Amino acid sequence: MILRNLKFALNSAWQSFWRNLAVSLAAVLSITLILILAGINLLVGHAFAQVLDGFRTKVSEISINVSDDTPLQTVYDFQAQLAADPRVVTVTFVTKDEALREFKSDPQNAILATQIEGNPLDAKLDVRVKNLNDVAAIDAMGRQWSGVDPTDPTNYQGDFVNRMLDLSEWLAVAGVALLIVLMIVSVVIVMNTIRTAVYHRRKEIEVMKLVGATEWFVRGPFVLEGIMTGLIAAAIALALLAVAYEPAVVQFKSDVGFIPLSYDPAFISSLARDLLIAGALLGAVGSYIGVRRYVRI
Amino acid sequence: MVLTPDFDTRPVISFQHVHKTYPTGTEALRDVNLEVPQGDFLFLVGPSGAGKSTLVRLLIREEKPTRGKIFVDGIELGRMKRRKLPHYRRKVGLVFQDFKLLPNLTVYENVAFAMRVLGEPDHKVKARVAEALDTVSLSGKEQTYPANLSGGEQQRVAIARALVHAPRFIIADEPTGNLDPATAWEIMQLFLRINARGATVVMATHNREIVDLLRRRVIAIDAGQIARDDRSGRYHDDLAKPQVRAQ
Repeated sequence: MILRNLKFALNSAWQSFWRNLAVSLAAVLSITLILILAGINLLVGHAFAQVLDGFRTKVSEISINVSDDTPLQTVYDFQAQLAADPRVVTVTFVTKDEALREFKSDPQNAILATQIEGNPLDAKLDVRVKNLNDVAAIDAMGRQWSGVDPTDPTNYQGDFVNRMLDLSEWLAVAGVALLIVLMIVSVVIVMNTIRTAVYHRRKEIEVMKLVGATEWFVRGPFVLEGIMTGLIAAAIALALLAVAYEPAVVQFKSDVGFIPLSYDPAFISSLARDLLIAGALLGAVGSYIGVRRYVRI
Repeated sequence: MVLTPDFDTRPVISFQHVHKTYPTGTEALRDVNLEVPQGDFLFLVGPSGAGKSTLVRLLIREEKPTRGKIFVDGIELGRMKRRKLPHYRRKVGLVFQDFKLLPNLTVYENVAFAMRVLGEPDHKVKARVAEALDTVSLSGKEQTYPANLSGGEQQRVAIARALVHAPRFIIADEPTGNLDPATAWEIMQLFLRINARGATVVMATHNREIVDLLRRRVIAIDAGQIARDDRSGRYHDDLAKPQVRAQ
């Protein structure tokens, strides 16, 4: 019986969708646009998270510069002390020679490297910290250490890290706020589509009620129609986004090269899941509210 | 002359001090008391706006009484839960003046619709629809659309749809209002046959000839009150002044 009802509901939802093609299409296109905006929001959020992750690994690494007159044993002791610290992932000792080689091997320093006489670079302890929030504490430890180079103790840039963290929080909040607004708009659009569909089928609904159809038997097709609208919109939005994603990233990279944005094909499948679920849910919620308001027994 | 007939059967419809006032303030029914036994055939007559339609709407629970109680088959309609309403409507066959057929469905589909909405299996739907269409003498017109039928035929489709659940009550609101006298008479014969099989029929009508000819129970409603309840009545009380038949 449930199967037969489902078949009936699917049939009437499909019929109703085609019968009000203009309204259905308007709704599909509006929701497609909204889902594209939502998808762009997700993609930008994802790209930003990627970039931020890059920064994170960079800023969670600090170098503590060792002054030239520090005995090697003091350096090893401090290295061991850092390595034993639970907040620290790894500590690598880089000698003056290695630091110079590292410096010279970077093509960006090519011109500078030819002008260097002797070795002005410090030996250093490269420390990778587990948690970004602990970097400041490790930096403080390094600065207090007796063997640190007092003129240039560490490469820690506290302000930059904190600003990045703040910015990422703000962007997350703004993204969520935008998503909420978009959802409300699409629910209202679906509601109005369903109202039109209900209006077109008011005679049929009246007869259904009079012959004793249950409330959900009457409402079911409309909810299905809403879900269908949302799913079709999601599929179109997804197709457009998937096609445009890579060229957009390439274009962005060529325009703004210093932001390390990269194309992530794996993200498309998670985007597909999110958009389809969002489409179906928006359709269901919008039409549910619609039929609750306009289909009364 | 108000008379409560003394029937031996248990009343299947019972109105007890029913008042209905619409939110607009219109007092449609005042202190209506009525008992209808199983198998009765009863005409509701009275001028337009007297309260006949309100009575019908209360019976099919499109409206609730403002005061008083309505029992149908032991269920008090005013206190019935909303989700029970569809089950109640399945026990009642409804026939209207404007037929209420779906124009985009064939005769067969229109009648089957009443069973489809209950999720009945195909074979059961087929058998019952065939039986109902046979009762109203429309076998052979299954694939016709309502627009290609005469008024009388359309009303017969509506009656077949009302019968397909094998309801215990038929409530008909002006079923002959849109039909010419000969066709109206055919439709009445159909209602009489259905009644003879045991179904209770409550019919609101303006059709004086039919009421006067059949001499069934007549309840006259005037200004929201039962003015007359005759076991074997006529459209007009002999004492009342004649009224123009409203169409």
